[in-house]
Amino acid sequence: MSSTIVLTGGTGYLGSRLAERLLEITDHRLVLLARDPQRARQFIDAWGADGQKRVDVVPTDLRDGTIEGVARDSVTHVVHSAALIFFNVEKLDAQAVNVDGTRAVTEFARRCPNLQRYLAFSSLYSAGTRTGRILEQPHPPESAFANHYEWSKARSEQEVLDGASGLPLTIVRPGTVIADGPDGRVTQYNAFHNTLKLFFYGLLSLMPGDAATPMYLTTADFTATAAAHLLLSPRGEGIYHLGPDPDETQTLGELIDQAFDVFESDPAFRRRRLLRPEFCDVETFRHLVDASRSLGTSPMSQALQSVAPFAEQMFKRKHFDTTRLHAAWPEHPGTDSPSLTHAVIDRLVASRWGRNQEGTSWT
Amino acid sequence: MSHFMSDTGSEDGLAQAHLHGLAHALGHRKSHLAESETAGLLESSAVDLLSSGFAWHYRCEDDQSAYDLALAAVRALPEGSLADGADAIIYSTCLPGNGNIGTAETWRSSRDVRHLMEFPASHLQAELELDRAVVIGLTQQGCTGFLGSLRLASSLLASEPEWERVLCVTADRFPPGSVYEQSFNLISDGAAACVVARSPGTFRILGTHHITNGGMAAATGEESIGSYFSYTQLLVRETLRRTGLTMADIDWIVPQNTNAAAWKILSRMLGIDENQVHMPSLPESAHAISSDHAINLSDLTASGRLRKGQRVMLLVAGHGLNWQSTVLEVTA
Ligand SMILES: NC(=O)c1ccc[n+]([C@@H]2O[C@H](COP(=O)([O-])OP(=O)(O)OC[C@H]3O[C@@H](n4cnc5c(N)ncnc54)[C@H](OP(=O)(O)O)[C@@H]3O)[C@@H](O)[C@H]2O)c1
Repeated sequence: MSSTIVLTGGTGYLGSRLAERLLEITDHRLVLLARDPQRARQFIDAWGADGQKRVDVVPTDLRDGTIEGVARDSVTHVVHSAALIFFNVEKLDAQAVNVDGTRAVTEFARRCPNLQRYLAFSSLYSAGTRTGRILEQPHPPESAFANHYEWSKARSEQEVLDGASGLPLTIVRPGTVIADGPDGRVTQYNAFHNTLKLFFYGLLSLMPGDAATPMYLTTADFTATAAAHLLLSPRGEGIYHLGPDPDETQTLGELIDQAFDVFESDPAFRRRRLLRPEFCDVETFRHLVDASRSLGTSPMSQALQSVAPFAEQMFKRKHFDTTRLHAAWPEHPGTDSPSLTHAVIDRLVASRWGRNQEGTSWT
Repeated sequence: MSHFMSDTGSEDGLAQAHLHGLAHALGHRKSHLAESETAGLLESSAVDLLSSGFAWHYRCEDDQSAYDLALAAVRALPEGSLADGADAIIYSTCLPGNGNIGTAETWRSSRDVRHLMEFPASHLQAELELDRAVVIGLTQQGCTGFLGSLRLASSLLASEPEWERVLCVTADRFPPGSVYEQSFNLISDGAAACVVARSPGTFRILGTHHITNGGMAAATGEESIGSYFSYTQLLVRETLRRTGLTMADIDWIVPQNTNAAAWKILSRMLGIDENQVHMPSLPESAHAISSDHAINLSDLTASGRLRKGQRVMLLVAGHGLNWQSTVLEVTA
């Protein structure tokens, strides 16, 4: 009997890349649990003959609480990447999709008799506002969080750890994905890109945070490759941090300086003589976000609201340990953070934040 | 004492300039911003502007000109301010069009550009019989024009040994049909006047500073706000450096009337108490273009809270983009 990998979030940024990679490196069948089967079909078409032959779609909305229509006996791997990933997600939505949805997927995995591995996507920020060294281990229960997204990812991890105890389990905690790969191409925009955009267009001159805070930035290629490796490797069980090693990170201050160095190579930017932002405390930044509400629905106000829920993290110095990842994936390629961020910022400036690319999302 | 002062007390001349008398005049038509919203005079919603601290504003009646406001402001100066005449009139306007009394219609019908240079400062000189005064117009400093005139007046007193006093006037009204909002600020038509003189007055001018960033000459409201915090901090830092002072030496900040939250933010960034920021006229008279400082500083003086020796920093940002500051020391 051929192996089947069931994947949630296969129409997502990371899930679709992981699916493509699994098609490449295995001959397993893939079942995408997708709430929009038509959208899923578009991805499958893009994956060519392999996609047509080896991928099925089962319409599934995680908010329904159950997963039906999959022959469980054939399932050898379950990958759960679906989630609402906006930092400003409402708590009830985060609960419904990220927490209750994870419970449903975990329940499904538990009832697959031939399961070889259940891999769930968490996030580095499931650690909440803790500081210091953070190990590839379950988080202590009493964490605090900067936003409902983080809270829901921590709760979702707990759902997996509780519901899948005794199962062959992998939890991956990716860093903030800022590019598709090391060449800096961006197809998913998030608070990182949004903040730089505000600086570039002169709409923001305050930076909440501590210049010394390390930034855990990574790529979709790295994350998908690592997840695929851990999913299929017999040594891949456990919790893993998917991002740069602490000594590979850039600090927030270095990142801002680098961004402005790149910005200043653009003649239009240089002409406007925008100053580098001043670092401010979180309370000051909250005043700015509150004040921006009186600017109505202006782009500045909208962008600030989307960045705000993440601001507190810019003060929280964390050192995400990657010892387990290195042990399970010795050929791990490492991250050249300055070169990655330089490539990303270069492209953002040149493409004016992808103004000409259709269908980019703003998270 | 700041190292700004040399032994002669006039390292760059500004130390000898004093501010005498401050007066202002506002448009005659007072309205609540809810009424102005109904009349289509706003871009933002009245609710948003209310949440920024604005409430009322003053507009000119149809027959009231910027020049009328200027005249009213000068006439409101303390009695005798100009008894000995003036050596110069610096007349600043935010809108260059307010630097001309003639109308575009008269120019169009006559095709004579004379109607585009009927200078209000000359009219003011004649009207007030300030025969000795030469006139100077400042029309490209946006809302910072009034502080620009203090800077220029101080420099002129330093470079013209025979001069005793300079009348500084600023006056603006928005043309009929305008939106009464700029960069999310509710606007009032207004004028202000003061005398900068060599003889001691209420305040001594300790120093001034001015930054222009022409790269942002066409900045939108959002861009102006975006750069407001970093440039205001740069302005303050450079002003302190130039005057040899530290933030701890500054007892009061008098800014232009702007979103109340802006100074919640800036006072934290500059490390001063919010109560040291004096902007009480915001709900009553909105952003009266270049006249806010005259209004707020008069209020601070009248409040009885100023003490001899205290230092007041006036700060303003305006189109161009321009940022200007003046540091005053209470002497009277
Ligand atoms: N991207 C990052 O920077 C990052 C960083 C750390 C961790 N992560 C984690 O990585 C995982 C994947 O992230 P991503 O960037 O790929 O996110 P994404 O691009 O937003 O994709 C989310 C996926 O979840 C699906 N989904 C959302 N609500 C659903 C529902 N009610 N029922 C079924 N499917 C639903 C979406 O389906 P539709 O296509 O129908 O919307 C989509 O396929 C998430 O668990 C996220 O928390 C991401």
